Amino acid sequence: MTDFPPDTPRTFSRRQVLEAVPATALAAGTVGLADVVQVEAEELKKQGRSMILLWMAGGPSQFETLDPKPGTDNGGPTKAISTAVPGMQVAEYWPRVAKTIDRFSLIRSMTNKEGNHQRASYQLHTGYVPSGSVKHPSLSASIAEQLASPEFELPAVVSVGRTTGSGFLGVDYEPFTVNNPGQLPQNVSVPVPARRYRRRLGLLGRLEQEFSGRGGKTVVAKHQKLYKKSSRMVLSKNVAAFDISEEPDSLKQKYGETSFGRGCLLARRLVESGVTFVEVVSRGWDTHFDIFERITTLSEQVDPAVAALVEDLETRGLLEKTLVVWMGEFGRTPRVNSRTGRDHYPRVFSAAVAGGGVKGGQVIGSSSANGSAVADRPVSVPDLFCSICHSLQVDPRKEHLSPLGRPMKVVDGGKVVQDLFA
Amino acid sequence: MCTRPTLPLLAITLGIPLLVHSVDAAEPARTSAVSAEVDRLLEAEIRASGGTPAPLASDGDFLRRATLDLTDQLPPSNSVTLFQLDPNSTKRSRLINRLVHSTEFSASQARYWRDVIFSRATEMRSRQMSPPVFQAWMTEQFEQKQSWDKIVEHLLTATGDVRENGATALLFAHGGEAAELAAETSRIFLGIQIQCANCHDHPTDRWKRIQFHQLAAFFPRVRVRPKRDATPRTFEVVSQDASRRGRRNPSAQALGLMFRRLDRNRDGKLVKSEVTDSRLDRSFDRLLQRGDANKDGGLSLKEFQKLPPPGNNNRRNDTEHYMPNLDEPGNRGDAIRPVFFATGGRATEGLDDVERRQLLANHVTSTRNRWFARAYVNRTWSVLLGEGFSMPIDDMGPEREVAHPQVFDLLCRDFTDSGYDTRRLFEIIAGTRAYQRQIRPRDPTEPTPPFASAQPSRLRADQVYNALLEVLGIESTSVRQRSLRRQRPGQSNNMMSRRRSAGRTLFLTLFGFDPSTPQEDIKGNVPQALYLMNSPLIHAMIRAGGNTRLAKILRKHPGDDDAISEVYLLVLSREPSASELKICREYITEVGHRGEAFEDLMWSLVNSSEFLSRR
Repeated sequence: MTDFPPDTPRTFSRRQVLEAVPATALAAGTVGLADVVQVEAEELKKQGRSMILLWMAGGPSQFETLDPKPGTDNGGPTKAISTAVPGMQVAEYWPRVAKTIDRFSLIRSMTNKEGNHQRASYQLHTGYVPSGSVKHPSLSASIAEQLASPEFELPAVVSVGRTTGSGFLGVDYEPFTVNNPGQLPQNVSVPVPARRYRRRLGLLGRLEQEFSGRGGKTVVAKHQKLYKKSSRMVLSKNVAAFDISEEPDSLKQKYGETSFGRGCLLARRLVESGVTFVEVVSRGWDTHFDIFERITTLSEQVDPAVAALVEDLETRGLLEKTLVVWMGEFGRTPRVNSRTGRDHYPRVFSAAVAGGGVKGGQVIGSSSANGSAVADRPVSVPDLFCSICHSLQVDPRKEHLSPLGRPMKVVDGGKVVQDLFA
Repeated sequence: MCTRPTLPLLAITLGIPLLVHSVDAAEPARTSAVSAEVDRLLEAEIRASGGTPAPLASDGDFLRRATLDLTDQLPPSNSVTLFQLDPNSTKRSRLINRLVHSTEFSASQARYWRDVIFSRATEMRSRQMSPPVFQAWMTEQFEQKQSWDKIVEHLLTATGDVRENGATALLFAHGGEAAELAAETSRIFLGIQIQCANCHDHPTDRWKRIQFHQLAAFFPRVRVRPKRDATPRTFEVVSQDASRRGRRNPSAQALGLMFRRLDRNRDGKLVKSEVTDSRLDRSFDRLLQRGDANKDGGLSLKEFQKLPPPGNNNRRNDTEHYMPNLDEPGNRGDAIRPVFFATGGRATEGLDDVERRQLLANHVTSTRNRWFARAYVNRTWSVLLGEGFSMPIDDMGPEREVAHPQVFDLLCRDFTDSGYDTRRLFEIIAGTRAYQRQIRPRDPTEPTPPFASAQPSRLRADQVYNALLEVLGIESTSVRQRSLRRQRPGQSNNMMSRRRSAGRTLFLTLFGFDPSTPQEDIKGNVPQALYLMNSPLIHAMIRAGGNTRLAKILRKHPGDDDAISEVYLLVLSREPSASELKICREYITEVGHRGEAFEDLMWSLVNSSEFLSRR
């Protein structure tokens, strides 16, 4: 027996099912009442929540982004600009974000201890510091494990750029990596007609039985699960979500014709089609030298994209259920070094969140006057993660057994930052 | 069921001396004798714990397993039947011996170690520049039968241009960072993850935080820096034995003098008003913030001396290793002397960079350090058997459980006594019955001791790549007839080979994994499946028309059964079973088009888990 996709795969997304089933299908009698009740119960549980992580790889400087300190030694030449909310300022490089600031909560009191890129990236993705003995699941995997519908054909987690994997939660929640955002990912187009493709999959399933019976049972089972998932994806009409060509040019321009801009537009399309978690990576934030020149180039790509994304989500009524988080693995040193750069600084840094029930137009916490420490309301990585879970209605204390049999919570410790929410 | 032969009987039937130590100590024991002793111990322990060793794998399975394990390649499809028909009773050991002494073995080892080192690289630029140079160097080491201790010594003590000296791989992979190098040296060469002690004393591990930093103290003078005006752009590993700006860190005594000069009211505490005219004026607030441990608004002499020197808080200028004080992150902490944790070996004072690293290499590879042999033996056993005596293979440590400690010790002793002869170890392990067993499903209701049967394991990316080239009939000079010379950088820059190597690199990125990962954690991913299912290249190369391997098979074998067998031999290196033959025949009838049906068969076998597994 094989359980590859049937000839008429259901190509509705979660959202579409929710919208379409009661009105049309039920009336037409094509879906049984039990199906609808089940779909609705499932949907009520999931509530179509999702998250977009905008990851600034390398560690963005808080001074040049959300926490400028103009006129101080540590502030450097960076100026602050006014935003849509009186009294709130951001660094001059972020004019578009400034106009949409009423959707954002800025956290200026993030604090952590890890100053090594790999370790900190791991920690800010999983909530745990790396350990040789266990591969922790990325938060995206833990979220997808609780929110994603197993019936959905696209990967629950998509990342535009390389990221941390699903660890011991396994292949179902492994991020599907997209390298050229906007185009169909490589090898997604099926080289033979769908009918023949399904026939092939059937033959593969039957032939695998031999190896399964000769000692490869576990390997075959794992492989079949992966093939089921992969073939369901390529045969689904939803893969069109990966292709942004049908979006209007004016919208593309708003996001910016950059890789990051296209990544953000893709993120919106994916979330809209039902993907639970999308990460979009921007690289180059490790500004040990020439920070003031490099920040200009970086913000020119990221600023319009972030603003356009939040506005676009809002226009489509998706912002309320989509949490957008902007952050990197740490901040940068208050002192500008001799090469006009800033080095790694986990002690105090900034992050921004929008949507998903987050109250906009406010600042959480603060850094000291010279920016070297948290002055008020420290927010730890577990605090942030608990808050993300709160927004998505994911249980942060749910435990999974690691391969070594140790129960591990989605988030260990930490408290929800209640002020974030309306 | 297997009847249980008594041990002496088994030994007699196999013509193996029961006690290996009876062999003259001056002559190393024959590898076959050591293999037999391993099996004797192992089988006795397996039986004692209620298990039954699985029967030996068929000749065909053995041929595929050994050829993949020792050369990263599939056996040529026509060699399978020949090997099966060869009546010589020593054909397996002769095959192992031939493979272990082939150039492909050296190249395969080089690829394996490339993955071990670069999978965890923290200096990302090393991944672009270093792997081909490292591979060429490592292949040469194995070709010259360099012993493992010498190879490791080179890796720890190298200096020079990273595009010229492949031995710089590990140092470059971590940008010369002392802490990373300490962690990786310990993990890779000793199988011990001491880096957890970087930040804290682990409650259950023997080694403490200070010992991690003592290990790091062998590396503080390693620098990786861009080589000026070099095309193509390159880096070099150099020693920095003196502070780069020529400014030495002020001694405690000098700081004491300065302190007394500034401390006008002689209260043993510096405050802002006392330094207003001095050169500390501008930076005093910052110094206070960093150094005022007791928060009394001033700096005591002790606090003052602990401050990082002005303008010099950048690690790049330190020629000693400092262990950060966790309670005072702003402070750079105490200078640490190098000590090798596993044996307590120390360094005398005043050693320069290369002397320090040479000394570390001596300590690491010393026969007094048992972890050196254990890490390599455990790793090699795990490569060949799918699981190590101690798991994970790079996190052994004294507190971990070891399966079959007697067998493990025996192999470690032999490896050490042989002068760390890598080929000999491979030959011994591949020569055991333990290596040559059938894979067997693990029955959860029965106690299944490890190594009672073989375990299927995932092929490494290089192995899948080579297998695909073979199966799809893509010529690759870079695989089969590659001479060592051609691998050297700068000499293979014709378009074709460059394009081929770009394709290979992309493939390796897609299918690659860290070979130190335990098998159960190695999982395929969707892009890999998509590649095998849908890539235009594979689609084109499994067509039934034209000049593909499939087309040739179909032309040569008009009978379906023969053609099915040939396809199986080509892709899976074995004949189809009766039930597979039946499924295929039915499928061909159902499709009603021979070429199309065979394309689907090729596609299914290339996409099968068996193709991706070592069985």
